[in-house]
Amino acid sequence: MSGAQLPPTAPGRRQFAIGLIAVMLGALMSRAFYLHILDQDHLQAQGEKRHLRTQALPAARGIIYDRNGEPLAVSTRVETVNGEPEELVLQREQLPRLARLVGWDSAELTEELERRACRKEGSKHIFLKRNANPTLVRRVEALGIEGIFTEPGERRFYPAAEIPANIVGFTDLNGKGLEGVEYVYNQRLAGSAGSERVIRDNHKRTVERVEIVEEARNGEDLYLSIDRRLQYLAMRALEKSVRNNGARGGSVVVLDATTGELLALANQPTFNPNDNKDWIVDHYRNRAVTDTFEPGSTIKPFTIAAAIDSGRFTEQDLIDTTPGYMMLAGYRISDARNYGRIDMATIIQKSSNVGAAKVAMELKAEQLHHMLTQVGFGERTSSAAPGEEYPFPGEAKGHLKPYREWQRVEQATMSYGYGFSATALQLAKAYAVLADHGRMHPIRLLRLEPGSEVPTTQVITLETARIVQGMLESVVAAGGTGTGAQVPGYRIAGKTGTVRKAHDGGYEEERYRALFAGFAPASNPRIVVVVVLDEPSGHYYYGGEVAAPIFAEVTAGALRLLDIPPDRPLELLRMASAGGKS
Amino acid sequence: MRSWQFDPSILAIALTIIGVGLVMVYSSSVAVADHLTGKPYFFLERQGVFTLVSLIAAALMFQVPMTEWQRLGPWLMGVGALLLVVVLLVGRDVNGSTRWIPLGSFNLQVSEMVKLAVVVYMAGYLVRQRERVLHRIGGFAAPMALLGVLVVLLMLEPDFGAAVVMLATAMGMMFLAGARIWLFLAVLLPGVMVLAVMVYGSEYRMRRMAGFLDPWQDPTGTGYQLIQALIAFGRGEWFGAGLGDSVQKFFYLPEAHTDFVFSIVAEELGLMGTWGVIVLFALLISRGFDVAKRAERAGLAFHTHIAHGITLWLAIQSIINIGVNMGALPTKGLTLPFMSYGGSSLLSNCVALALLLRVDHEARGALGKAGRGPTEVNA
Repeated sequence: MSGAQLPPTAPGRRQFAIGLIAVMLGALMSRAFYLHILDQDHLQAQGEKRHLRTQALPAARGIIYDRNGEPLAVSTRVETVNGEPEELVLQREQLPRLARLVGWDSAELTEELERRACRKEGSKHIFLKRNANPTLVRRVEALGIEGIFTEPGERRFYPAAEIPANIVGFTDLNGKGLEGVEYVYNQRLAGSAGSERVIRDNHKRTVERVEIVEEARNGEDLYLSIDRRLQYLAMRALEKSVRNNGARGGSVVVLDATTGELLALANQPTFNPNDNKDWIVDHYRNRAVTDTFEPGSTIKPFTIAAAIDSGRFTEQDLIDTTPGYMMLAGYRISDARNYGRIDMATIIQKSSNVGAAKVAMELKAEQLHHMLTQVGFGERTSSAAPGEEYPFPGEAKGHLKPYREWQRVEQATMSYGYGFSATALQLAKAYAVLADHGRMHPIRLLRLEPGSEVPTTQVITLETARIVQGMLESVVAAGGTGTGAQVPGYRIAGKTGTVRKAHDGGYEEERYRALFAGFAPASNPRIVVVVVLDEPSGHYYYGGEVAAPIFAEVTAGALRLLDIPPDRPLELLRMASAGGKS
Repeated sequence: MRSWQFDPSILAIALTIIGVGLVMVYSSSVAVADHLTGKPYFFLERQGVFTLVSLIAAALMFQVPMTEWQRLGPWLMGVGALLLVVVLLVGRDVNGSTRWIPLGSFNLQVSEMVKLAVVVYMAGYLVRQRERVLHRIGGFAAPMALLGVLVVLLMLEPDFGAAVVMLATAMGMMFLAGARIWLFLAVLLPGVMVLAVMVYGSEYRMRRMAGFLDPWQDPTGTGYQLIQALIAFGRGEWFGAGLGDSVQKFFYLPEAHTDFVFSIVAEELGLMGTWGVIVLFALLISRGFDVAKRAERAGLAFHTHIAHGITLWLAIQSIINIGVNMGALPTKGLTLPFMSYGGSSLLSNCVALALLLRVDHEARGALGKAGRGPTEVNA
């Protein structure tokens, strides 16, 4: 190396290069400062626009229990599998496997995804599978397909299936109540969904929860007044009878006589809320409250009660029903046969139309009308707190004309239950007045909490109610029309009814509605049972023949399940010893 | 045998950058790795192996005396050019670019090796043709012509970023060596004009350019990646969201563990993190120039050019990568040296580091021989 040789670097050039690089690095550091600090609000807002989502925190829907805490409607956690069509169409080879898992036809799924992926506006997002169980969700995730995300949800399940279906109702796919209790108490059951802010990754999966905007408030559990065991009993008895008698349908209502609580309400036909494939809209409705009919002879006790309450009659007064029929304004009112001169009890026991009509003609229209409205005809069966719905959606009030418009013949037919209409539940409520010694209680569908007061109105005097109770007992006793309603060991009170179905302003010859309304035990009535059988098409169609046996079956079972002691225990002993001898 | 001597801070800085890189590669790739392979450590494990192999290779290369590199320069250049042809024939196509030669479980990115070869070749050329480079146009034009061939080959892949780095490094070496200034202007001005014409002449390049100048105009298209990178900076604030707490790495920012790992540093470690990394590179660059000065003092011309070349290469590539991450430069497929995921890049960076240390080692040796005598006498 000679000192003469020039250095390999030109003078000053390295300093220039170092300076240039230093300037560039300085510029980068300034740029970093600008982005990190000065522009952070804008950039973070842009980031949040992309990452942050407000998503619902689902509230658990309340459970519907029966009065003993047996579940009638419960919710289970499920997942909804959603897809982003734009991403899914790019993974065509995976689609057949996905389709198989979520239960789509492969070609159909591909077509639908392509259709949605091309959508210019609106949401492209697709529900691939609702109500997916966790196993299925894991299998879908295992496919490793992009553009799939799941959302938690709930599925409603009805453990008692069709048994209480007309009362409990059901929800739609989004969990909103559509019928029955689910509909009426939807707000209380639903609670309110909360919301939370989450950071989602670019595959729409939650990476981090940022904050809870609003806590979810879970829905309230409801305890119905229904007793699931009685409901089963009523449904089974009704179903069997409808089948055996070839009836079009029917209803059974069981009330707690002292509180107005609905213990059971069975309808035929009905539906299984767990299986939406066989839903028939006509079967949803709760016939016992939506369908009205002329109550027929079951009204006679109220005619007699009105007569005695009015002071115009006593129970000993005799009415001459000879010759077994009467003409009124060209209209013929007739009995099954000529009962002659009979007292009030016999009018009830034999169900004499002529007797009832003659008594009614002696009363003012106002008095009879008053009695019918007092026991609840023409009105809703229940009361609702302010802001609350009535417990029975679509409840019919029945038709009861104002007494001023009554013609004389109407006053007569009204006395044996023609010329106005009522629901099965109204009829049960009216019988509960007779059963509970003249006291009326609004019908309740929610369990009466212990210690709370039962709203009570005395609408028939205690004495009158006692007298009519006795008369109704004679109906079921030997010689009455309702012997089929007897329950061994118990004193039963009740009344039969066989009503020709009204049709186009007249009455049909061959189509009947068989009724039985009653209560037990007669010594201290606890339950009221009403049976309606619509168009029994067999040989038997009288209320005493087809409705009374259902009453007996339901009442016997209910008294036993409710642990109500027999008020005629000797009869049971006699039967037991007779059984022993044979 | 003389013990090795070199500036230990260079090694310390480089190892620090590599260490930070490993942590950030893991953090930024964990979601993608899990999604693609089901193994969250997939990229970390591979990068760990690459690091080990690269450091061993660097240790071996450190043993090779500079005279060998000087002798082999033209051969390396030849092999590099050949590989650039080979990759076009048998290369693996990834995202429309043919940059990799598949070697079993590893893909070799040829351009990384070519950068190294160009530095070694140019250093030798500047020594051999010193007079011509300083005084003749041909001394400047001849290597430019050769580089032009390489640029064409790189553009065929295409690997525009590597071409820019290679060209800028080679020209920087000639500039430092003393080539006449007007020659650079004569190349750069028409070059800029040609580039402008190319940009305006092609709708695709135009959109790329617009996407860089105003990414918010097309936030889901050309501006997408840059916007996601910028958001990472905004989220980082002063001290970052915290190590591991990036959101952008969850499939928002593409290439988060490779070309855009710096953005994840920005998001997780904040301004302190980005400045810290920039300062590390600044230190490395300044130490590189120190080595060049030392070599020059020792009168080792080839060594000086090698140190210049390697320092310029690392400086240019890191500045471009960081600039791209911050939207200061248009998007190019360039890694951040020592930090980004990728075996080829790490290997060539580590070998370059070994050469730099070897230069320092030999320069100190030369200076020691010259300087120790009198000192010992005085003692």
